[in-house]
Amino acid sequence: MKCSQVQKRLSAFQDGELNAQEGQRVSKHLESCLACRERYIEMEKVWQALGDLNEITPEPGFYGELVKKINDSHETRFPAGFQWLFQFFSSPWATSTLLIAGILIGTFLGNILAKSDLFPFQQSQASHSQAAIEVFSLRAFDPVPPGTLGDKYLRMANYGEEGRR
Amino acid sequence: MSRTAEGDGYAFEVLVGRHQTSVLNLIYRYVGDRTKARDLAQEVFIRVWRAAKSYAPKAKFTTWIYRITANVCLNELKSAKGKKLIQLEPEEGRPNSDYQTHLNASQSPEDILVGEESSRQISDALQSLPENQRMALILKRYDNLSYEEIAKIMECSISAVESLLVRAKRNLQEKLIFPEN
Repeated sequence: MKCSQVQKRLSAFQDGELNAQEGQRVSKHLESCLACRERYIEMEKVWQALGDLNEITPEPGFYGELVKKINDSHETRFPAGFQWLFQFFSSPWATSTLLIAGILIGTFLGNILAKSDLFPFQQSQASHSQAAIEVFSLRAFDPVPPGTLGDKYLRMANYGEEGRR
Repeated sequence: MSRTAEGDGYAFEVLVGRHQTSVLNLIYRYVGDRTKARDLAQEVFIRVWRAAKSYAPKAKFTTWIYRITANVCLNELKSAKGKKLIQLEPEEGRPNSDYQTHLNASQSPEDILVGEESSRQISDALQSLPENQRMALILKRYDNLSYEEIAKIMECSISAVESLLVRAKRNLQEKLIFPEN
């Protein structure tokens, strides 16, 4: 077996992945070839050094945290086939784009409605009927609307004789 | 696993207990960050729980769970590209908790420091490997899996695994034995 052939299979030899016959041939070559042997020794050194990497142990709350995550994700899970909707709406870009689009559409519709006859709150209509302003103004929601008996009593209480007039 | 698929919480707890250390350590060695490793390990078990019903025992369970783990690791690296994902250096004046692991009580402080330094060097060297070489090497060195099993996990051929390992070992040799190069 040539050195180049052996060196190609050294890694598999080290990992015990060669069949018995090929393994024996590599092993025989290593006994007689110093260069290949040195190469193999270096590989072994690296393999041994990797053993110095410590192992970590799971924290005690690992399982509890996992169960909580599963329960949370179950509650917020979208029906199958609609996950893309969740992914889309959870992106900050999509959210801000939708917000801006909402504002623009709202402004546009507001302008259209203000110019149309459908909307009762416009200035021109209000001038036709003062009552309309009164009805749609905030005063309509007063506990004692103007002109009622309650309003008269309140005026009297506040301004005495002046209010009576 | 079949009991987990039926929604048996106790069976799932047993399953997690049996595999959490190996999954956690595979991820930790791959990403080099303990907190990230814990989160990703939980992500793996969430996927196991969700996929339990559709699980068909074609391969060994460990092969299946390691394949999920490898996918989670690779996805994480993809999504974290551009960000600094791996924190290898501890903050100044503060020991790196990532390396405070299985320390023997009989070890002297010097031994511990030497051990931590050595562990950090190995971790640095591992992180410097390309993604696939790193995964193949970790599965071989720390989980002692055969090329065939690694090939199934990484969804590639056995000869591809061998090639990945040859290159990974050569790269590590340069980092660990001849670091000045």
